[in-house]
Amino acid sequence: MKREIPLFITFITGVLLVIALFIPHKPFGQLQQTFNDWLIIVGGFTMILGLDSLLLHNWEKIKRKKEGWISSAFLIASFFITLFWGFGEGIFAHRSPFDPSATFLRYFYTYVFVPLQATMFSLLAFFIASAAYRAFRAKDGNSTLLLSAAALVMLGRVPEGQKVAPWIFAFVLILLAYYFFKEGSRTSGTQKTVYMVLGVLSIALIYPVFYILLHYLNYIADWIMNIPQMAAKRGIWIGISLGGIAMSLRIILGVEKTYLQ
Amino acid sequence: MREFLQKAGNIDRRIIYLLILSAVAITILLKVSFKSTPLPEVKRSYDIINSLPAGSVVMFSIDYDASSMPELDPMLRAMLRHCFEKNLKVIMLGHWPLGLPLGQIALEDIARQYHKKYGEDYVFLGYRPGLQAVMLNLGKEIRSVFSTDYRGTPIDSLPMMRGVHNYNDIAVLIGLEAGSVGDMWVQFANARFNQKIILGSTAVITPDLYPYLQAGQIVGLIGGLRGASDYEALVKHPAIASAGMASQTVVHVLIILLILLGNIGYFATRRGK
Repeated sequence: MKREIPLFITFITGVLLVIALFIPHKPFGQLQQTFNDWLIIVGGFTMILGLDSLLLHNWEKIKRKKEGWISSAFLIASFFITLFWGFGEGIFAHRSPFDPSATFLRYFYTYVFVPLQATMFSLLAFFIASAAYRAFRAKDGNSTLLLSAAALVMLGRVPEGQKVAPWIFAFVLILLAYYFFKEGSRTSGTQKTVYMVLGVLSIALIYPVFYILLHYLNYIADWIMNIPQMAAKRGIWIGISLGGIAMSLRIILGVEKTYLQ
Repeated sequence: MREFLQKAGNIDRRIIYLLILSAVAITILLKVSFKSTPLPEVKRSYDIINSLPAGSVVMFSIDYDASSMPELDPMLRAMLRHCFEKNLKVIMLGHWPLGLPLGQIALEDIARQYHKKYGEDYVFLGYRPGLQAVMLNLGKEIRSVFSTDYRGTPIDSLPMMRGVHNYNDIAVLIGLEAGSVGDMWVQFANARFNQKIILGSTAVITPDLYPYLQAGQIVGLIGGLRGASDYEALVKHPAIASAGMASQTVVHVLIILLILLGNIGYFATRRGK
C-alpha cells in the first residue's frame, strides 16, 4: 500500500489535469485552479523541508567537527540572525524586512550578500579564459569549425569586433600558409603538391577573408546565431520536450516509479 | 624558436588570470567606450515599449540574483527608465527570492529619479512560491496569488491596481532571466494566455531563447551585457553596461588571442613530436 496509494494519487491527479486542460468547464475547469492553489501551498512547505535538511546537514558537520565546520557555523549563525531580525521587523516594527526603512537587513543584503555572491560568480570569467586557452584546439575538422564559429560570434557581438577580426583571421591565414609551406618543404611527391596548394590557397584567401570580415562580420555572427545555432537548439528542445512528455506519461501511468524511492 | 612556440601553448594560468584582470580593470579605469549599432531584437524590444500608450501596465519579473547582476541589473534599470519616461505603470514580481530585492532597489531608485509614486505609478508584489502555478493563476486573477503587495497592503487599496486583474490588463511582460523561468513564461503566459513577452537574459542562456523569438512567442529579446548596453544607448542614458561593454570587447579579443597562442603552441608541440 505504501507504493500503491502514491501511484494512485499520481494517476488520478495527472489524468484530471489533462482532462481539465481540454474541458475548461465545471467541474474540471475549477479543478485546475484548486490544484494550482495547492501547488502554491505545497511549494511554500517545500522551503521548510529544504531549510530542515540544510540546517541538519550543517549542524551535523559542526557536531562532528568535520572539515569546513567553521563555514557551517557561519551559515547557521547568519541564517538565524537574518531570520529573527526579519521576524522582529515584521512583529515589532510592522514592516517588511526589505522595506527601505528596514536598514539592517537591507545593509546586510546590499553590502554583504550581493558582493559575496557576485564575486563567487565573477571568478568564472578567469576559469573560462584559462579553460578556453587550454581546451580550444583545432585538432580536427569539427573542432576547427567550432573554434571558428566561436571566434566569429565572440568578435561579431562586441562593438569594435568588426575592426579587429579581419586582422586576427588574416594573421591565422598567414600562419597557416607558413605551416603548409614548411611542411611542403619537408615532404615530397603528391604530399608536397597538396601542402603547396594549401599554402597558396591560404595566401589567396587573406584578402577576401579580410574584406568580408571588415564589412560583414556582424551579419555573419547574426547568421550563425539565427540559422545553424537556432536549428540545433530547436532540435534539442523538441527532443527534450518529447522526452518530457514520454516521461510524464510513464509517471502518470505508473510505469516510472523511481521518484518513489 | 620551436621551444618558444611550445611554451606559448603552456602559459601558467596565473598569468592568464592577471591578463584578464588587467584587461577589465584598465578598460574601466581609462573609461574606454565603444559605439555600437543596437541589435535588431533589442531595437524591437525598445520599439514595442516605446509604442505603448501612457498608462499602460508593464509587468517585470525578476528571475535572477546577484551572480547575474552585472548583465541584468543595467538592463532592468534602462528599461525602467524607459517605462517611467513614457509614463507607463510598472508591476514588479519575481521567482528568484534571493534576487528580488535587487529589483526592488532598482525600482525604488529609478522611480525616485522620475518622481513616481508607489501605488499610483508602480507596485512591488514580491515573491510567491509555486512558479508555474503562480504564472497560471496570474492569467486568471492576480489577486488569487497576490492579495497584498510586499508590505501587506491589500492590492485593491492601491489605485494603480484597481483595474488590473490578469494578463489581459498587462500590455507587456518583461522577464529578466538567468535560468529557465523564461521558458516557463513562454509556456504558461504566452502559450496559454497569449501574453506579449519581452525577455532579457544573460548571454549564456540567450541562444536558448532565439527559437522563441523566431516563432513569435516572445516579441523581443535583450541578450547579455551587449543587449543591456544597446538598451542604454537607445534610452540615451549610457551607464554601467556601456562601460562594461568596453571591458567585454577587450576580454573577448584577449581570449581569442590566447586561444590562437594555445593553438600555435599545440601545433609546434605536435610537429616536434
